[in-house]
Formats: sequence, structure tokens, C-alpha cells
Amino acid sequence: MRILLLGTLCTLLLGCIDAPNVKLNEKNQGLVYCAEANPMTFNPQVTTTGSTIDLIANQLYDRLISIDPDTAEFKPELAESWGVSDDGTTITFYLRKGVQFHHTDYFTPSREMTADDVVFSFDRLFNVYNPYHFVGDATYPYFQSVGLDQLIQEIIKVDDYTVQFKLFNAESSFLSNLATDFAVITSKEYADILAAAENKSQFDNKPIGTGPYKYKQYLRDNLVRYHKNETYWKHPVAMSQLVFDITTNNTSRIAKMLTKECDVTAHPSASQLAVLSKRADITVDKAENLNIGYWAFNTEKEPFDNSLVRKALAHSVDFNKILQAVFYGNGQVAKSYLPPASWAFSEQESMPTYNPTLARKYLDMAGYEDGFEMTIWAMPVSRIYNPNARKMAELIQSDLKQIGVTAKIVEYEWNTFIERIGKHEHDSVLLGWVADTPDPDNFFSPLLSCTATFSDKNPANWCNPEFDLLLTKALDTTDIEERKAFYAQAQAMIIDQLPLVPIAHGMRFQASSKEVKGIDLKPFGGISLANARKQ
Amino acid sequence: MAKFKLFSEESNRSPLSRLWKKFKANHPALVGLWIFIALTLLALFAPLISPYSINQQHADALLLPPSWHDAGDVRFILGTDDLGRDILSRLMNGATFTFGLSIIAALITTVLGVIIGSLAGMSKGIRSSFFNHLLDITLSIPSLLLAIIIIAILGPGLLNTVWAIILALLPQYVHSIRNLVVEELSKDYISAFRLDGASKWKILVRGVFPNIYEHIVVIFTMALSTAILDIAALGFLKLGAQPPTTEWGAILAENLGLIYLAPWTVGLPGVLLFIAVLSTNLVGDGLRQVLKDRKAD
Amino acid sequence: MREYLFRRLSLLLFMLLTLTAFTFSLNYLFPGDVLTNLSGQVNSSYAQSQALADKYQLEENIIVQYGAFLGRIVDGDWGYSLSSGQPVFEHILLLFPATIELCVYALVVAIVLGIPAGVIAAVFHKRWPDKVINSLTLMGFSIPIFWLALLLIMVFCLGLGLFPMSGRIGLLYEIEPYSHFILVDIIAQGFPYGGFAFIDALKHLALPTIVLAMYPTTVLIRFTRDSMLNVLEQNYIKTARAKGLNRRQLILHHALRNALLPVIKQIGLQFSTLLTLAMITEVIFSWPGVGRWLIESIYQRDYPAIQGGLLAVSMFVIFANMFAEFSHTVLNPISRNQAHGKI
Repeated sequence: MRILLLGTLCTLLLGCIDAPNVKLNEKNQGLVYCAEANPMTFNPQVTTTGSTIDLIANQLYDRLISIDPDTAEFKPELAESWGVSDDGTTITFYLRKGVQFHHTDYFTPSREMTADDVVFSFDRLFNVYNPYHFVGDATYPYFQSVGLDQLIQEIIKVDDYTVQFKLFNAESSFLSNLATDFAVITSKEYADILAAAENKSQFDNKPIGTGPYKYKQYLRDNLVRYHKNETYWKHPVAMSQLVFDITTNNTSRIAKMLTKECDVTAHPSASQLAVLSKRADITVDKAENLNIGYWAFNTEKEPFDNSLVRKALAHSVDFNKILQAVFYGNGQVAKSYLPPASWAFSEQESMPTYNPTLARKYLDMAGYEDGFEMTIWAMPVSRIYNPNARKMAELIQSDLKQIGVTAKIVEYEWNTFIERIGKHEHDSVLLGWVADTPDPDNFFSPLLSCTATFSDKNPANWCNPEFDLLLTKALDTTDIEERKAFYAQAQAMIIDQLPLVPIAHGMRFQASSKEVKGIDLKPFGGISLANARKQ
Repeated sequence: MAKFKLFSEESNRSPLSRLWKKFKANHPALVGLWIFIALTLLALFAPLISPYSINQQHADALLLPPSWHDAGDVRFILGTDDLGRDILSRLMNGATFTFGLSIIAALITTVLGVIIGSLAGMSKGIRSSFFNHLLDITLSIPSLLLAIIIIAILGPGLLNTVWAIILALLPQYVHSIRNLVVEELSKDYISAFRLDGASKWKILVRGVFPNIYEHIVVIFTMALSTAILDIAALGFLKLGAQPPTTEWGAILAENLGLIYLAPWTVGLPGVLLFIAVLSTNLVGDGLRQVLKDRKAD
Repeated sequence: MREYLFRRLSLLLFMLLTLTAFTFSLNYLFPGDVLTNLSGQVNSSYAQSQALADKYQLEENIIVQYGAFLGRIVDGDWGYSLSSGQPVFEHILLLFPATIELCVYALVVAIVLGIPAGVIAAVFHKRWPDKVINSLTLMGFSIPIFWLALLLIMVFCLGLGLFPMSGRIGLLYEIEPYSHFILVDIIAQGFPYGGFAFIDALKHLALPTIVLAMYPTTVLIRFTRDSMLNVLEQNYIKTARAKGLNRRQLILHHALRNALLPVIKQIGLQFSTLLTLAMITEVIFSWPGVGRWLIESIYQRDYPAIQGGLLAVSMFVIFANMFAEFSHTVLNPISRNQAHGKI
């Protein structure tokens, strides 16, 4: 009663002063995007975490080339054009002129982007003598896991606007790797100034790029604020401000959509889509996406080094139930490791099915009649490939109980979680992968190759030389049919060995208020808000 | 009140039965007491009488609304949650964790609090001063914060929560008991008792306790309502009971994601918490009122 | 008076010493490496960890370590947060004002509502206003604060769309943080954004303030009521009544002042509860305060942050209690002569 009274009082009080819809004045038009996690860094070169890439890659930076989501062809970005030599080992990029780096209160560029910047950006990744190579932890997970450091022989500045990449051998996925969100161009001038001031660590925390927005402020657990880049080379930017409201809780993100505190929200959880689509002022977009949610085992740890145990666990879980309870029907049951939308997809006959009796038999064969204890690490954020890992883990937990395996669920804050998974502290983990390029190699090399194990990115801790050989063979050829055949073998091998159990492919969802336009959902890579505007 | 009474039967009754008579006249307090007893019974026997086990998942019945709703199912009177678990069973078992454990926590606190409080009340001089200052410091750390610190040391979990809450409640408890003891000790009849040569122990047991035990019950109800709220709050913050334990606060937190789809899964545990705390407070308040009236008589 | 002050100050010192000793001992009680708990730096090399151990004087005995710890607390070197890598003290400086702001407004609401309600209840003792106020208080007392917050959010934010549900201000408003008290900052900058920012900040404040004010309001009502009833039974009131003063004069001029004296002390004591409840409120309303940060730190097992948070919050409570006690004494000379260490 008291509350009601007070509430009405407050409303009346405030209601007199302003109209129900407080509109910001035109000059301050901005977009609030509700994001699901803190950014780990502001430099996409040093991470592969999707939630971080979403926040930084396309907003702050540009790449040399990109991939058109519709036609899957390469498009010019900072490189106006490019040429590949006949043997495929020399690739020459002709850079765009008149591209400005960000003008901010902590850095003012004196020159435009040149070949120096491009050479520096890539040199940092591969050259141990580059002054910035060891800044941070010197891990460049994407590039290391796809083996680019083994591939690039030399990067040469031909003139101010021409850069040449010399490769040891031709590789079919090289250009698509350069088109990923990670291959951004950073400013050498900024780097030099910071190096002179002995403040190199600022480079990855206070970013300077060429993208549509420039960095303004970051408050941990609270917000990331960008201002518009007035000198953006590609097109004028409509929003004067872009704010990422960091809201880790799924329900809060939805609630903020309803109260109009957010204009756009990342990954609305499947269970609540119905609520959002009922509202007239909110649009829910849905798009197919190249991704896989899986349950990976730490194959170096007992008893998960035994493929029988992995089989037993895979057969003990009812994945159809999971799809109902976690994805609410908005996902596809995995029929292989690759999603069906990928051109290299090959359906696997022997996908594990729910069969507790068989699972028990496998356990008996492996010598674990009495079961064992294990941990399931459930990621704390909602991603396309797994909207609610906690719930999934609980379902798995209760299924595992039936075959006598006691599971404990482990949760950490997202960035800590990734760090610890990298150190392989887990027994098993519910995780997933969203493709950065349409190239199927993007699903294999960064996740399950031996190099990925060394760069702490392989959640299954699985290093199988035979499997790696298949991947290398698939990369060495440009013949599509041949590559398909190799990837089919690779998929069969995964299902046979089960370092991870593919669970499902999710749909990409995005909720935005009706007045926001110009945010397209891509089937791969992070989001781009460059064209966002309000009407 | 100096009233002339012809018959003195009234006053011949035992203090306890007089207390009960007065308490009975206070209807809200009586209702509170009945609810309190009902909840206690539920906490004791919930696992036996709940229709399903708490973690039994019904894959064919996800997120059913309560049975009186069109889409409901008679099997699940209060519906099911998103894993197909019966909400009624989970809530019934929640009484064991939230209410039952709170009672245990409050009881243990009472025992410890009475012992330490009386020791503090009996002590004198520098020891008493030191003790009081120490108490003041612990009192200045908010109880929930203290509980949270203890959990940070012990790690999250229901049992650790109980320990944390006992330790967090204790300073307040000791403080109140000490004040009661000191107040009682300063009364003339105790001085007379002391002059009679009664030992400290005798004074405490024969003199002080019979006169303060009712107040201890009042403090107990206050401690209990704080314990319930704290256990639930810690469960809600995911620091206390961990799912799938059916502590009410934890259930509430777990179902928060369903607040739009199935508001009842969030509403019901809250209502139960409210009822549990309210009934405890009603009993405590009624008791305090009676004691106050008696003092005035 | 001088003796009184001296006594209070020595007590304060004693309390702070004990508190820091407790906080210091947490470094050994928390799981994990003592050095990491102290410094918040995960030492990567042997040389670095030696340098740190040197700085924290870990080789010395425990008393020296505690001394070094005290020195660093005074210097404002509270270690580094494990999760953000930033100095803990900086976090606290940044976040504490938000918490204090919320608590102060809630306390103001509690005082404005609680004291008159308590007085009314006492004046109409055992009549309907007393009964209504009493039962409302009992309900307010019994409602779990997180549930209340959720209910309010459901009704006012999601149902009616009247209030926002998170943060201190709409994120598109850029307010330079000078004092970190948002309303003060907005006023100091001359109501930017045509006054809309101020209104927006008020709207953000409304629900958290109400939620947080709930509990202290009920406590103040009960306390004021009891205190007032107590005073009304005193002989001097009876005398005044006998002298023919009317009810209004009696209450306003004679009873109120004396009844409110203990209430002032009670207000100071509320800070401890307020800060606890603020933690929950902050979590639910995503209020960027020290409470939410502390809870977040526990999830992430960020021990330096937990320690820092505990120290800051408890010190604040101690000072608030002292202040309340002090102002109580200034207003009420009788209590100056009370025995040692009674609060």
C-alpha cells in the first residue's frame, strides 16, 4: 500500500515535469546495444571470444578485405584491389588512399593509413622482434591456430600504398583468413608513440582504428562508450554515440528491451522470444548461422582419454530433450560436426543416439562399472550455439546420473572461464564455435588441430596427427570436390573418436526496437553496427 | 493497576498459561502460530508427502501452468518448470531447506548466544569492556556482509550458508542476551539472592533465566525471521544453496529467466517466503505484546 | 566533553585496528596463495614474486606483516583486483559514492515517512491508525527485499513502463563524474541536456530508493512509536497534561523532542543494515555501486577486491555509527556520562 502510494506520488511528481517519452535531443542521437559480457580486450588480434569480437571488431576497425555474406565473394575494404600470383604464394594488396585513423583525446594521427600500418599490424603477429609482439601474453590465438605464422614468409612494403605477402606455399584459406574479424589494421604511428612513452600496454586497451566508431570510455561491468568517427572513409555514420550496456543476465537484457533501455540486444534467449515478438515496437530478426554447440571432453585426462568412456557419455544424453528445453525448437540437432549450411557438410550415419543401456555397456567395457565423478563446465553467457549452458548442464547431469556418473556443474565469469578452459582445468565443457568465414577450415583448425592445443584454444585438448594431416591436405588443394572429400573424412573421424559431441546448431537472433534500422545479421563473424540508424 | 479483586483464582494460574491466554486473544498472532506450526510440519515431512521427487524431470510436461489454468495438467497442481519438474513438490521441499534450516540455525544461535551472552553479562571490569568493544566491531559489519565474507572463505553451499548465518546472527544475539542479563542482575531480588549466598551459577539458573526465557523466545523469533531472509537472500544471490537444491531463494533465482513466460515460478516462492517470515514475525510480535502488557500490569 | 571525545576516539582507533587485523587475517583464511590474496598480482616470474614478497614483507613475522599492511592501507595501496587488474582502491573510490548516494536517499525517505508514521501510530495508540500502520509495518518487515524489488520491476518497469530498471542514468547521457554523486554532478554542470538528464537520473533513483527504504522505514516507525509511547507515559507529560496543555502542544513541544533523541541514534545504526540491503538492491537494479561489485568479486573469487570492499564498507559503518552517537550526545547531554563502551 505504502509502496503503491509512494510510486504514484513519484510518478505524479515526475509526470508533471516531462512527457512520458523522454527523447534525447537530435544532436545526441545514440544507440544502446545490450551486450552479454565485458570485452576482454579492445584488439581483435589477441582474442577469439565472440562476445568480445562483437563489441570491437567491426565497430572500431577495418580489414583489408571482407567476405560478402550473400555471394561469399571477397570485397575490397582497406585494400582497393589485390592480385594473386600464378603459383599462389605472392599476394599483393593495393591500399585505399585517404583513410584516416581515429582522432581521439589520447591520440591525433598526423598521417593517413599507409603500407607501414598494414605491415606493422601483421608483423606484430608473427615477428618475435616486433616491439609489440610480446605485449600482453603474446598470444594471437586465431592466427596461431590456423597456422598463419607457419605460412607467411615475409610481408613487404612495396610502396606507401602497396603491400606484398609472400607465403611458403599456397593455401586455399589464406584470403578468407585475412577477411576474418581478427585481421584488423592498427596504427603504427600510435604504436610508436606509445612505445616511446613506455606505455605499450595501452595499445590494446585504448584502441585506435579506422572503423566507424572511436573509443571513448569503458567502465567494467557497466558500459563501453564509442563516439562516431567523423572522418570515416566508407560512409557517414548516422549515430553520434554507440553505447554497449554490459548486461550479463539474459532476463535483464530482455527486460531492458521492454523498458526501452536498450535499442538492440544480443542473443535474446530462445525461451523469451515469444514475449518479445508479441510487442509491436520490437522486431525480432532470425537468421541462419554457421555455428556448432558441442560438449567437449578433456581427452588428456582420465577417464576421458578412453574413447569408450566418451562414447558412453555421448550415448547417455537425450539431445532431443535438450533441443526442446534449451533451444525451444529454435535450433537443429547436429547431424555432423559441420552445420548443414556449410558446403563441406556430410551427414554422419553414426551420430550417437540416446541409449542408456548401450552407454552402460560402453562404461562396463571401459572398466568403469561403478561410474565416476566428473565436472561439466557450463559457460555463463548465452551464445548462438548454446542459449543456456547452465540448463543444458543440468539436463545432462540428470541423464548422467542414470548411468551412474556423478556430474558437478562448474561456472565462472566468462573471461575467467575461457582462461581456465585454455589451461584445461575442466573434465568436460559445454561450448561452441561461430564461424568467422564460410571456409570450413574455420571449424577445424582453430579448434581441434594440434596447433590449437598449443595455443590453448582446443577445448577437447585433442591432438591427433592423422586428423591434422587431413586438414593440411584439405588446405593444400583448391579443388572444391577434393576438399569436400577430406573434410568428410575429418567429420567422420570426429564422430568416431568423439573428442567432442556435436549437439546443435543454433539460429542467430537479434531483437531491436522498430525504429532502429540498418543492422544486418550475417551468417558468420561478429555484428556490425556501422550502418545503424534510427528513424 | 491497583484493582480490588475478590477472587484470586486468576493470579494463581501458572505464568505460562496466563501467557497463552493473553496470546490467544491476539488473533493475528494466533493465525501466525498456526501457519508457523504448519510450516514446521511441512519442513519435517515434505520429502514424504510431496507428490514427486524434486529432481524428477518430466520431458512431456515442460513449463505447464497451474492445474486450474486451461493448459494445466491435474498431475501437476502448481505446474512445472522449464525442466519439467513439479513446482509443488519443489516448493514443499523448499520448506525443509529454507524454513527448517533457518530454525536449526536460529536454535544453534540461541544456545551459543545464551551461553556467551550470559558470560558477558556476568563478567565485569576490563574483561567486560574489551568484550563489548569486540562486539561493537562485529555489530558494525552488516550481518549479510559477514555471512558473505564467511562464504567467501568457506565457499558457496547450503551448509556453509547455515554456518555463516549462525556466525552473522550471533553478535546481535549476544548483545541482546547480555543486555537482558545485565538488566536482570541489577534488580533487587537478585541482590537479595546474592546476599543469601547464592553462587554465580545459581543466580544465573534460578534467578535470571526463569525471568528472561520468554524474552529469549522473542529474540529467537527475530533471529529466525532474519535467518530465513538471509538464507533466501544468499540463495537468491547464488552464494547459498546451489541448484538443484530447492531452497526458495535459489528456486526464485533459478526461475528468474522464466519471469515473462511463467511468472508463477517466480511468484510462488516469494509468496511462501513472505508467509514464512510474516508468521514468524506475527508470533514474535504477539509474544512481545503479551510480555509488555504483563509488565504494565 | 574533552574526556568524552578522547574516549570515543580511542574506541574508534581500537575498532579500526581490530577491523584491519581481521581483514589482514583474511589473506591467510581465503583459499589460494597469500601473496596473490594480498597483492592481487598473479606473479609470472620468480624475480617479480620475490620483489612482491619483499614489498609485502612476507619473510618477516606476522606482526611486521600486519604493520606493513596497515601502512599500505593508509597509503591507499589496497592491492590489485584479480579480475580487472586495476587498483582496488580506485574501484572503491569510483563505486562507493553511488552506494552512499543510494543509501542516503533511502534513509531520507525512511526518515520522512517513518518518523511521522511512528508518531501518528503512538498518538493514536490502539486506535485504527495505529493498527493500520502496525500491520503495514509488519508486512514491510517480512517481505524479502529481492522479491519486493522484482515485484516493483514487474509492475512499474515492465507493466506500466514508468521507470527504467537499471543503472543510475540513461547511458546516452554523458555526465562528467566530478563528485561521483550523480545528482550533484548534474546540478554542478548546470542541468545538461535541457534538464532531461536530471529527470532521467531521478527516475532511475526512484525504485531502488523505495526498495532500499522499505526496511529502515519499518524499523524507524516501530522505534519512533515505541519511543513516543514511552515518553507519553512519563510523569512530566502527565504533569503538562494536568496543567491543561492541549494535545497538539503537548506532543509537538514536549513529547517529540525527547522521543526523537533515541531515534537519532537509531538512524545512525541503520547504516549497517542499509549497506547490506544495498548490496541486494544494487545487484537487482544493476546499480554500479560497491555492493554489486563486492558480490561480483565473490563470484569471481577476487580476494583482494573482497577484502577491500569489506574494509571500506565496515569502516564506513563504524564512522556512521560514531557520527550518530556523537550527534546524539551533542543533543542529549545526559548520555555523555554513560559508562564505557556502551552503544
